[in-house]
Amino acid sequence: MPLKILVTSKRVEDPEALILVKADGSGIETQGLSYRINPFDEIAVEEALRLKEEHGGEVVVASIGAADCVSEIRVALAMGADRGIRVDHEGPLDPGMVAAILQKLVEGEQPDLVILGKQSVDDDQNQVGQILAQRMGWARATFASKEESLESTAEKTRQCGLRLAADGTSIRVVREVDGGLETLELSLPAVITTDLRLNIPRITSVPGIMKARKKPVREIQVEELGIELQPAVIVRKLHSPSKRGGGLRVKTVQELWDKVHGEAGVL
Amino acid sequence: MDFTLSDEQKMLVNAVRQFIKEELKPLEDEVESTGLLAPEKARAIFEHSRELGLYAMNMPEEYGGAGLSAIDTMLVEEQFGHTSDILIRRAFGNIYEALLVCEGAQKERWLLPTVRGDRTCSIAITEPGAGSDAMGITTRAVKDGDGWLLTGNKHFISDGEYSDFFLVTAVTDPESTPKAISLFLVDKDSPGFTLGRNQVMMGLTGTSCNELFFKNIRLTRENLLGEEGRGMRICLQTLGRVRLAQVGARAVGKATHVLDLMVEYVKERKQFGKPIGDFQLIQQMIADSVIEVNAARLLLHRAAWEIDQGRDARDWISMVKVHAAETLGRVTDRAVQVFGGMGYCKELPIERYYRDSRIYRIFDGSSEIHRTLVARGATKFGAALYDVRA
Repeated sequence: MPLKILVTSKRVEDPEALILVKADGSGIETQGLSYRINPFDEIAVEEALRLKEEHGGEVVVASIGAADCVSEIRVALAMGADRGIRVDHEGPLDPGMVAAILQKLVEGEQPDLVILGKQSVDDDQNQVGQILAQRMGWARATFASKEESLESTAEKTRQCGLRLAADGTSIRVVREVDGGLETLELSLPAVITTDLRLNIPRITSVPGIMKARKKPVREIQVEELGIELQPAVIVRKLHSPSKRGGGLRVKTVQELWDKVHGEAGVL
Repeated sequence: MDFTLSDEQKMLVNAVRQFIKEELKPLEDEVESTGLLAPEKARAIFEHSRELGLYAMNMPEEYGGAGLSAIDTMLVEEQFGHTSDILIRRAFGNIYEALLVCEGAQKERWLLPTVRGDRTCSIAITEPGAGSDAMGITTRAVKDGDGWLLTGNKHFISDGEYSDFFLVTAVTDPESTPKAISLFLVDKDSPGFTLGRNQVMMGLTGTSCNELFFKNIRLTRENLLGEEGRGMRICLQTLGRVRLAQVGARAVGKATHVLDLMVEYVKERKQFGKPIGDFQLIQQMIADSVIEVNAARLLLHRAAWEIDQGRDARDWISMVKVHAAETLGRVTDRAVQVFGGMGYCKELPIERYYRDSRIYRIFDGSSEIHRTLVARGATKFGAALYDVRA
């Protein structure tokens, strides 16, 4: 049964770049920063493409942001997604607002499945998937992973970690939980968020890159969605983590106790 | 002036970077220690690369390549510079644009299978008595009926052991001035062909460099590439872009790779209680390397831009050939110095990069030859070659 899948492709600061907080704490220094697709979203795109390759269907990729975030939509299109949607928006969004926007896209597109990264590596909130599923009243599974390792034959032959039932009405998700793996059977439509060990995203092919240019990306203004965006969370100030002090070596247990209990005041 | 890469260029660079990191880097040490790339591993990287469209990217789309512009080719080739010669050859191919001169049946026999990766070609110009002086060759193609008989020998032919045909320069008319040289497509299984010994080099481990011997090899019209007597012209017209890519861009990539390792090392390595990067003499080596690498890259992009404008970029290519190769030499030399004993020791790849870099000032026209060409260009074109045209 062909599947229609909506995936997200958020533009994030390159996690390998040096991130500096602005002197006034109002944000981060963006000059000279490089950006990439959120690595968890990249895994979501990969899984959606594998499902499409196995079952047929369509992969629609969505992002919210200013014009420059089309670059990351194009990455997903180059990987093989069919078309893109960019919701034009400048300025901060909290997870509730993102979920509200995505809800409108989901209502419009009516996909069988929404696959998102479990979090984005900029703010590490880990909430959008959950809130979206709640708002839609859909089944959800977070932290999708798989039993086989990333070095397994299953991964090398690019098998899906998410398994669609034969009758196409449900999907099996192996998810990472504390102390092991949990397997859920979700009835469709459903929302799934991806963890790191679900798959290794493909390298984009040269023909894929060339084709991406011609694939459509629809632009939508937030106003067109007919929703009132009210932040529930406002970021007042950012600051860098305080520098770690140096460690020290103690000779006796008594000295350790004195340091930990006496000086540091813990235990 | 906009130096921002387009989305396509970024994706292209990232795809090549990821492929090198995941597929090629893990093979480098093994190639260095065993002296060769195991055939089954060569096959595996080739197949994966071809599947991704990363093979023969310099060739036009109509023949199965990616049809990249000169600028895009340089961006990609710079990334190639981050890995070793033999891995570049097997993963991405080494397809000479001179093959585009192929016509009619030649296309099916030599061009198309080479772009597909079913055949491999080496270029055979250099002879023991003719290095920089490519006109000084003595290999002869003597007219015989409708064809020729090829006799002579070549040496230092990269991939000679692996390739199954060669682009060979041979004198077809020694009497004319200048003497007429033609280009021939010579199959390795031709009667009269002998593969000589592998001439072991200081670096570029894994890439064979062979002598080739031709004794009365019968060649037909189909073996002639382009017109008779126009061999050197075809070389001049098609080898410039290859030189810019394989020497210029790769030297910039290699220097960048080494510089990356240097910068990381000076932050980590502590002497006298602080990172060695705090010492000004070390800082000078880092600063000079950063400046020179950036200058070389800018010059590289300028030369590629000239090609994309359809202009004769030979003088620009010569400038890059000299500057990028010599930058690479200086950067790797500094890297050995910064890494100290570990830079000289085979436990780290620094000494390998040092050895590998030395050839850049020699092959594909020595620094001296290209300096001569730049000087000649300057006297011929004057300020047009080095001043702002406003």
